[in-house]
Formats: sequence, structure tokens, C-alpha cells
Amino acid sequence: MEKQLIVDGINETLSEEFELGIDKLTPDAHLFDDLGLDSLDAVDMLVHIEDKTGVKMDVEQFQKVKTLGDVYDLVAEVSSQSKLN
Amino acid sequence: MSLNNKVVIVTGGSSGLGLAISKRMAKDGYQVLINYNSNEEGAARCRDEITKAGGRASIIQFNVSDREQVEASLEKFFGENSDAQLYGLINNAGITKDTLVGLMSDDDFKDVIETNLYGSFYLMRWSVKKMLLKKEGFVINMASLSGQVGNGGQANYAASKAGVIAMTKSLANEVGRRGIRINCVAPGIIETKMTENIPFLEEMKKNIPLRRIGKPEEVASVVSFLASTEASYMTGQTLSVNGGLYFS
Ligand SMILES: NC(=O)c1ccc[n+]([C@@H]2O[C@H](COP(=O)([O-])OP(=O)(O)OC[C@H]3O[C@@H](n4cnc5c(N)ncnc54)[C@H](OP(=O)(O)O)[C@@H]3O)[C@@H](O)[C@H]2O)c1
Repeated sequence: MEKQLIVDGINETLSEEFELGIDKLTPDAHLFDDLGLDSLDAVDMLVHIEDKTGVKMDVEQFQKVKTLGDVYDLVAEVSSQSKLN
Repeated sequence: MSLNNKVVIVTGGSSGLGLAISKRMAKDGYQVLINYNSNEEGAARCRDEITKAGGRASIIQFNVSDREQVEASLEKFFGENSDAQLYGLINNAGITKDTLVGLMSDDDFKDVIETNLYGSFYLMRWSVKKMLLKKEGFVINMASLSGQVGNGGQANYAASKAGVIAMTKSLANEVGRRGIRINCVAPGIIETKMTENIPFLEEMKKNIPLRRIGKPEEVASVVSFLASTEASYMTGQTLSVNGGLYFS
């Protein structure tokens, strides 16, 4: 999947599910501090992103993400790996 | 509420309580996914009885303690039935390997924990992630009187069921705000294969205020209540179904 498609897909999911304005969804936005998500929301986010992108993320890797940019990168990385397999 | 495409998974639906629960869920209008491990005949009979009565049911084989098997089988079923929505999970599959702690092997302990506790966890984790997408659903875990009070000869089993109760409360806490309810039913002594060889059963009945052991249908009706919107304000609870043997 192309990176821009991933970014758009994730942003769309986040704005729909968490009622976040698209303008807030920048790569350097911190999930907890800037977007006001908490750890329970993070689980929801994981589930919705997996559903939207069809990409299965490693839970341990996901636990390390801090900013929205980290999320884009992780999904892009897992997505390109699964294409290679 | 139309329950038409709402699927309820019942693990260990090939005999005993799971069989009665599967039939009751179908009667309540859910589409039932009956899991079994080895007893395909029992599961198929359960499915046939349900369809003959006008309900909807399918059978699915997996060993609850094998995470890969659990996830692959469920992914396959829901992949092939894209209109089916996972709405409920009843973690009923369970085993006993009773013996005194001094005589209990590592495997006796491990097998019971892996089936009863890990099995329930694997199914809950997979299912709750689906439910989070829809923001609705329920899980009912089969605990046991042993998990509430402990029982000599059942250290492994009691530990697994106490674990199930604590896991229920914890998950209820995590997903309550998404409209998903997680509860437990704790049966006392119920007439199934699991209890057919209990020693001193007649003696034990004298200690039960209702003076008899329970029928699987009497557990199924409580499960039905907890699953229904009648129990819409209940989560993290354990309902005892034990004839009064223990007042929780
Ligand atoms: N009967 C009681 O008095 C009583 C009291 C308290 C709690 N409980 C609990 O109620 C639940 C049902 O017990 P029951 O009395 O109905 O027992 P049962 O008649 O022995 O039935 C057990 C069911 O669990 C399934 N099962 C066992 N191991 C499994 C595995 N690894 N993977 C998938 N399925 C598996 C069996 O399937 P297969 O035969 O196909 O392998 C069977 O359908 C258990 O959790 C038990 O601990 C029962």
C-alpha cells in the first residue's frame, strides 16, 4: 500500500471514530498529549486501523508508538513486509 | 431488536452445559457458532436439533488452548460469512483433572490452566477486538463454585476459574465504555459428564438448600438473561447458579 493511502486511511478512521478534526492529524501530533487519546483509545485505534487497512500489527511494536507519524510508519512497514512474504 | 445476523460463539457446545446453552441462544434468536474439540458428533447433533427447531447454527472445530487454531478457524468462518456479526461469546469449554496437590503432576496443572484460563483469554481477546468495531456485544465466562470458594482436590481447576472471574472484572473495566459487557456464571453442581463420577453425590445433596443438583437448562437460562438487554446495566459480575450451596 502506498504511504499516502495509508496516511489518508488512518486519518479518515481517526476522524470518524474519535471525532478528531483533520487539521489536528499531523505526523508530529502526540497521541496522548495532543490528540487527547488514552490507552483504552489506543486499543480501539489499533482495532480500527487493522480493520481499515487489513494490516495486522504486532502488539509489542504498537505499544512503542508515540506520535501519529509513528503509527503511519509502523503500518507502512508492516504492510510492505507482508507484501514481501 | 433483530438478532438475525448476530452470531454467538459457544465454546464446548458439544455436550453438557454448552449444548444446553447453544440451544437456548438459538431459541433466543441468535445465530449460534457451536465449537467442539473432539466430539464432532455431539456438536453436529446440537446443530441439527437447532436447525430442526427453526434456528440457525454452525459447528466449528478448534482446541481453545491452541491460539493459532482458535484464530485461524474464526478468521476463516467470519471471512466466509461476511454478513455475520460477532455479537456474543460464551466461554464454556472447560476440563477438570482433579487430584490432591501432593499428587498433582505439572501436566495436570498446566492442562487445566491452558484450557480454562488461556482458552478463555484467547477467545476473549479475538472476540472483543471485533466487538470494539461495532461498539456492542457481550462475553459470558463459565466460572465455577470452586473458583469462588476453592475446593480440595481441585487446586488447578479452582485457580483457573478464580482467574476467569478476575479476568472478567478486568476486561469489563476496559471495554464497558464501548458498550460491551463481560460477565460470569458460576455453576455449583450440575448434571453433566463432568459431574457423573462425583463421589458421595447423595451426601452432598443434603448440603444444598434446594436439595438437588442442577440441570444444564437452569444454567442456560441465566446465561440467556445475562446475554439479553434485560441485563443491560450489568457488567463484571458473577452470578452463582448453585441451589444455594454458597451465597456469594
Ligand atoms: N457440570 C458442572 O457441575 C459444572 C460446575 C461448574 C462449572 N462448570 C463449567 O461449565 C463448563 C461446561 O462443563 P460441562 O459440565 O458441560 O462439561 P462437559 O460435559 O465435560 O463438556 C465440556 C465441553 O468442553 C469442551 N472442551 C473441553 N476441552 C476443550 C478444548 N480444549 N477445546 C474446545 N472445547 C473443549 C468439550 O468438547 P469436546 O467433547 O468436543 O472435546 C465439551 O463440549 C466448564 O467450563 C466447566 O468448568 C461445570
